[in-house]
Amino acid sequence: MVLRLATRAMGTRFELVLAGDEGPRLRAAGEEALREVEEAERRLSLFRRDSQVARLNRGAGLGAVRLDPDTFELLELAAEVHRASAGAFDPTVAPLLRALGLHGGDSSAPHCDEERARQALGWDAVELDPARRSARFTRPGIALDLGGIAKGHALDLAAAVLLECGVSRALLHGGTSTVVALGAPEGSPCWRVSIGSGPDPHVAELCDAALSVSAPSGRVARRGDRSLTHVIDPHTAAPAAGVALAAVIAPRAAVADAWSTALLAAGSPRAARRAGLETLHSTTAGAQPLWIHHAPGAARFSRVPTPKTPTPTLP
Amino acid sequence: MSSPDRRDFLKGAAGAAAAAFALEPVLQARERLTQPVRIGLVGCGRQGRAILGELTKFEEVTVAAICDVDPRRLRGAGRRAPDAASYPDHAALLGEAEVDAVIVATPTHLHRGPAVDALAAGKHVYCEAPLAHDLADAKALAKAARRAEGQVFQTGMQGRSNPVYKLARSFVRAGAIRDVFAMRAQFHRKTSWRTPASDPSREKALNWRLDPEISLGLIGEIGAQQFDVLHWFTGRYPTAARASGGVLAWPDGREVEDTVHAELTFPKGARCTWEATLGNTFGGRYELLLGTMGAVKLAWTHGWMFKEADAPTQGWEVYANRQQFHNDEGITLIADATKLAAQGKLSEGVGLPEPSLYYALESFLKSVADGAEVVTSAEDGLRAAAVAIRANQALRDGGEVAIEEDDFRVE
Repeated sequence: MVLRLATRAMGTRFELVLAGDEGPRLRAAGEEALREVEEAERRLSLFRRDSQVARLNRGAGLGAVRLDPDTFELLELAAEVHRASAGAFDPTVAPLLRALGLHGGDSSAPHCDEERARQALGWDAVELDPARRSARFTRPGIALDLGGIAKGHALDLAAAVLLECGVSRALLHGGTSTVVALGAPEGSPCWRVSIGSGPDPHVAELCDAALSVSAPSGRVARRGDRSLTHVIDPHTAAPAAGVALAAVIAPRAAVADAWSTALLAAGSPRAARRAGLETLHSTTAGAQPLWIHHAPGAARFSRVPTPKTPTPTLP
Repeated sequence: MSSPDRRDFLKGAAGAAAAAFALEPVLQARERLTQPVRIGLVGCGRQGRAILGELTKFEEVTVAAICDVDPRRLRGAGRRAPDAASYPDHAALLGEAEVDAVIVATPTHLHRGPAVDALAAGKHVYCEAPLAHDLADAKALAKAARRAEGQVFQTGMQGRSNPVYKLARSFVRAGAIRDVFAMRAQFHRKTSWRTPASDPSREKALNWRLDPEISLGLIGEIGAQQFDVLHWFTGRYPTAARASGGVLAWPDGREVEDTVHAELTFPKGARCTWEATLGNTFGGRYELLLGTMGAVKLAWTHGWMFKEADAPTQGWEVYANRQQFHNDEGITLIADATKLAAQGKLSEGVGLPEPSLYYALESFLKSVADGAEVVTSAEDGLRAAAVAIRANQALRDGGEVAIEEDDFRVE
């Protein structure tokens, strides 16, 4: 049987498609996995005062803030991708995103003008202490937005719960942009996920792998006649422009998520290759480059047309 | 000065203040404990792990020992408390580990053993709510706590230490909504309430909540916490309970009701209706108190006051933070509102800065380290458990069940 479960978290919808038998047990495993997603949201949300990230943003400028192991490990991973991407992935963009009006609602990033937010930007001012599992900001005005990695992190934790409960065939996604594939559907070698729409989309074939797709078409704010994307290029401290879409396959969803964010922001395929991600395509969509990378393993991209589904119409 | 003018004036004044205090941290200063506290945790399920997560926020706290009969859960908790020694049962923990206080987060029907033994070993005890699944255990716990003079015993009912609830209660107790004559509470979630087991032989034990022999179901696991909020706000306990329910959302062979309605009758005729379901999330979880001059709605991390048109006006309401609920306008209850308003940061004060579990643990730790008054005693726990036990009896037997003074008595 196939069971679908979903929850709302991180401003989007997380969904699980589980294959297996025995209804109530399968559901219990799925619910436990979704609880991991909900807990990740409680820890990482910028918009909840009681999250670990909000505590960090309030307090880490004044002294070291102790964190739970999952959040601390996520910060270590963020630091690793920051280094490997030569600074293209940088969660310290929070104050700038808020100043540009790209945080809907009251986020825990400090409210300041664009110029001050630009000055604050930079992961070099984030100090991690693994012995105490604490973090400290060494420059005033710093705040973190883990939106570029949190969905992947939540899906990794959810997938681990499913495996622990004996579920080995499942597809998990957060907002259709980050995906984890456990095993493959019965009678098929992999889960097939199409990227983008149109008559001839790319298809990712996934088996025990994660995929993340970033595109600037998500959240957009308007400033006069400018339209600003929600991804900041940390090198220029300005909203990214130039990349139409970045898709990454990696063994872990948090890694895929962070790298797709990095590639959209200011990505260099060379840095991605150095980090063990292989370039499969580097092609052009319209006037803008399209970068797709993948990690070695059972996963790959292809360009097989998918069956066209009819557009739903209102009754 | 008309109210829009006044609002603008205040905005201007607050703006100036915000510039002056821009770097002053709001609500940063956490009171520190005056001495270190070493904790032993008994029960490493989901609640036990959440407790470990909150304890890492207290500099002065060391989790010295953890214990669970399930090795997998014990390992999971060990990751969150890397310096803690692991024990397979609470007797070994009490015999060997050097701890000042024990936190009991086992299934409800297994609270009594570890809590009573920890008290006998001279430890302070925080015991999760409801205190017990039957009156015998609840009374035995309250009795052991009473005997253990000089030791702290806190029942883990979180409403009484929640800052939003404390603020709301101060308004209600001061007569802001006048006499409370009706209450309504609900808990709506969509979950099968089943716990998956990687080892099938553990499945029954892990799903104790669905075992009618040992579980008070939704009334005990959820209702007791919500009823206690109403007890604390009104200073009254119900004298009778009625309840009905069924397995309506998850007909998977279970016996414990997934949807329950209960009605509690309070002295002076006040009523509380409570509704819980595991089949739908609409409206979530809240408690609502209706008085003749207004209503107070409490939703764990947030609270609002809705005033009747003829209620007296208070000066501060003009610049209060408000939220629209269809035709009703709620005044957001914000701790430290005056201070935040002066800094132009009122909206940043909406919602709790920490999860409510944090405040329950904080009050326990302050009682242990600094001798602060216990916010939710064993006897408060006994009374809340007794109300839930009687309401669950009404659900089982049908009809009205009286809640007697005797049910609350510690023998």
